[in-house]
Amino acid sequence: MPLDFKRSNPLTMGVELELMVLNTHNHDLVRGAPDLLARLEKVRMQGEVKPEITESMIEVNTSVNETYDGLLAELVDVRDAIVVAAGRLNVEVAGGGAHPFHKWTERRIFPTERFQRVSALYGYLAKQFTVFGQHIHIGVESGDDAIYLTHHLAPLIPHFIALSASSPFSQGEDTSFETSRLHAVSAFPLSGQLPPVNTWAEFNRYFDEMRGYGIVESMKDFYWDIRPKPEYGTIEIRVCDTPLTVDLAAQLAAYAQTLAAELLRNRRHEPVQPMYRVYGYNRFQASRFGFEGELVDPFRTRHLRIREDILETLERLAPFAAELGTAVPLMALAALAAREANDSRWLRECHQETGSLPDVVRLQAQRWRTDPAPREAAQAGARAMQ
Amino acid sequence: MDLSFLPSFPLPLSYPLLFGVLLVAGMLGGEMARAARLPRIIGYVVVGFVVAPLTQAMGLEPLIERARILVDLALGLALFDLGRRMDLQWMKRDWTLAAAGLAEALLAFAAVLWCLLALGFSAVNASIVASICMATSPVVVMLVVQDDKAEGQVTERVLNLVALNSLLASILTTILLASAHLESRMAVETALLHPAYLFMGSVLLGGAIAACARFVARAVEKTADLHFTLIAGMVVGAVGLSVILRLSVILTLLAFGLFTRNDARKYDVLDVSLAPASRLLYIVLFVITGASLPPSALLTGAAAGMALAGARLAGKLAGAFAFSLLGGLRARQAAGLALGLAPVSTLALMLYYGVARQFPGFADEVEAAFLSMVIVMEVLGPIATQWGLRLAGETVPEPAATGHAARADLAGDA
Repeated sequence: MPLDFKRSNPLTMGVELELMVLNTHNHDLVRGAPDLLARLEKVRMQGEVKPEITESMIEVNTSVNETYDGLLAELVDVRDAIVVAAGRLNVEVAGGGAHPFHKWTERRIFPTERFQRVSALYGYLAKQFTVFGQHIHIGVESGDDAIYLTHHLAPLIPHFIALSASSPFSQGEDTSFETSRLHAVSAFPLSGQLPPVNTWAEFNRYFDEMRGYGIVESMKDFYWDIRPKPEYGTIEIRVCDTPLTVDLAAQLAAYAQTLAAELLRNRRHEPVQPMYRVYGYNRFQASRFGFEGELVDPFRTRHLRIREDILETLERLAPFAAELGTAVPLMALAALAAREANDSRWLRECHQETGSLPDVVRLQAQRWRTDPAPREAAQAGARAMQ
Repeated sequence: MDLSFLPSFPLPLSYPLLFGVLLVAGMLGGEMARAARLPRIIGYVVVGFVVAPLTQAMGLEPLIERARILVDLALGLALFDLGRRMDLQWMKRDWTLAAAGLAEALLAFAAVLWCLLALGFSAVNASIVASICMATSPVVVMLVVQDDKAEGQVTERVLNLVALNSLLASILTTILLASAHLESRMAVETALLHPAYLFMGSVLLGGAIAACARFVARAVEKTADLHFTLIAGMVVGAVGLSVILRLSVILTLLAFGLFTRNDARKYDVLDVSLAPASRLLYIVLFVITGASLPPSALLTGAAAGMALAGARLAGKLAGAFAFSLLGGLRARQAAGLALGLAPVSTLALMLYYGVARQFPGFADEVEAAFLSMVIVMEVLGPIATQWGLRLAGETVPEPAATGHAARADLAGDA
């Protein structure tokens, strides 16, 4: 039976954010997800909050949004609801791609049938998969468009890695990488990228073959950096670390949305194979060096700093940003890239200042709670200004 | 021939020897309990029951008094650790937590008082015993939490409530000392000054030591090793100072922990785990506690002791369960939390001996009943806490399947 690609409005977007649940005394991960989710069930809000593989993680799923403003407002609302519920339970919630010092052996698998099965199959990889990513969904009209976008966004994956990087520490040490989280993903046998198919029909043949071997059952079994998501009618970018603020999460989604708009209008016709030959190298450069990483462009056989490539791309996108209402978030990203001020740098600065990783986590939880200011506080502030 | 190089007989007591023997014996007892699927603590205490006749023969009785410094150190460490877990901010955000704490302590007090009055005990003595009965054993709860790797809402709430009821019991017992003083016709000034000195002095000392710890912490690198050493030193020092100043070790260390956590500058001192080191002291603590509980008390006090234990448990269960439900916990969680508060052990004993030392009349009247209750709860308490945390689903589940079985399952799925 072929996979049906559900048609959705092009350039709509949605975000998934995996978040860490922390205790308030030494800021280690804590088994708080079941109670937090039970409380949030009673709160009315757009989108939903769901369990993840271990009991120290929750996942926020937004609804489908047309605009950056709508997405940001929704993310702030969900964030505020989580903060209130967490406060009652005396746990904290934070962004960031990996917990800096937790011991993966202490994690517990969330008791749902699927997670237990993943755990039984992958052994310790499942517990080590206690890492926190942002997934960005962009709506597309057809499976063919999804395949096209998945291929042509691939060269831009290093941008998303550098901009979102927020996991410099792992298991109590500075990894020297901007993001250590991506290694936890690479360990899975079905990680990687979409094979070089050109149409949805070709992809279906590939999928049927893999299903025939008994290797996969659904799209969920592919842990690719970008993948088509036929049941939502989207493509899903999965390389981002969860940022430390919902602000940056919305900005990254706006970047993906604007890039997709440009790629759909100015169709590319380069072959995909050369892009994938340099893909692994470019991905490593971004993970290790962030903005300072060096990209190989296979079509112009040149090297380029990731920072310059991001700034050039953002400039090229300006007219599209004006159309989509994403000029403000893209300007914010340009400023971030120009100053190389991603979250990993902020975390390292916190560590330098406080000298302790528990303090770093405390500060990152504080930043997640208060940046941008909670809706109520912001409204009260606005009233006071009048 | 000069044989003066040989030890003289009878051999004097050596604390290192005592500590070593009790530690290893306790550890073995704990593992035997574990094999019988019981909490390790029960093993430690039973070793104490067995050791008791030996110490009697060696003239070391009462062991709890002889080894008082070990007991003070262990209890001090536990209360510091507990005070550090008590979060006043949380109680402000969720009033039902503080309410559950007050309710379970006060209902336990009322139930025990009513029970003892009904059994014909004098009002003053009954009220002192009732106030001691408000306390839950911090060490028992912490060790069960450690052994079963319990983690979650119920565990956190139990630890906070144990801190709260230890505090309430210590304060109320100290205040009731005044009425005991008055009844024994002591001068009014002494009757009021002694409890006031104990309370204010202990809290002030705890606060001063917390400030001192923060000051030193800021001067050294913020690593877990250094801060562990700092905390260990400060805790031992605080116990020593408290003993020298004849203050309450319990209140001082609880205050030290509380100030460390609930101060504006609380982040100066790292929240390092004391677990592997503290267990050494706790094992010895339980062996000594077990050895100091005379089984003979059961001969005369068993019935009253059981009534006492029942009344206390009923009060605690009712208070904790009702307010936890109100606070949004599910029924299983609320029941688990209430059961977690059952243990009675050394903290209650130390409060008891603190009063009994000054008022022999108090001991004469209540000893059999009170010690019987403690003996019963030494065994039932850890089991109740373990059940409670399991009921709440917060302990590590027993390993369900081996690797082979898991692979077979998956093959079946495919």
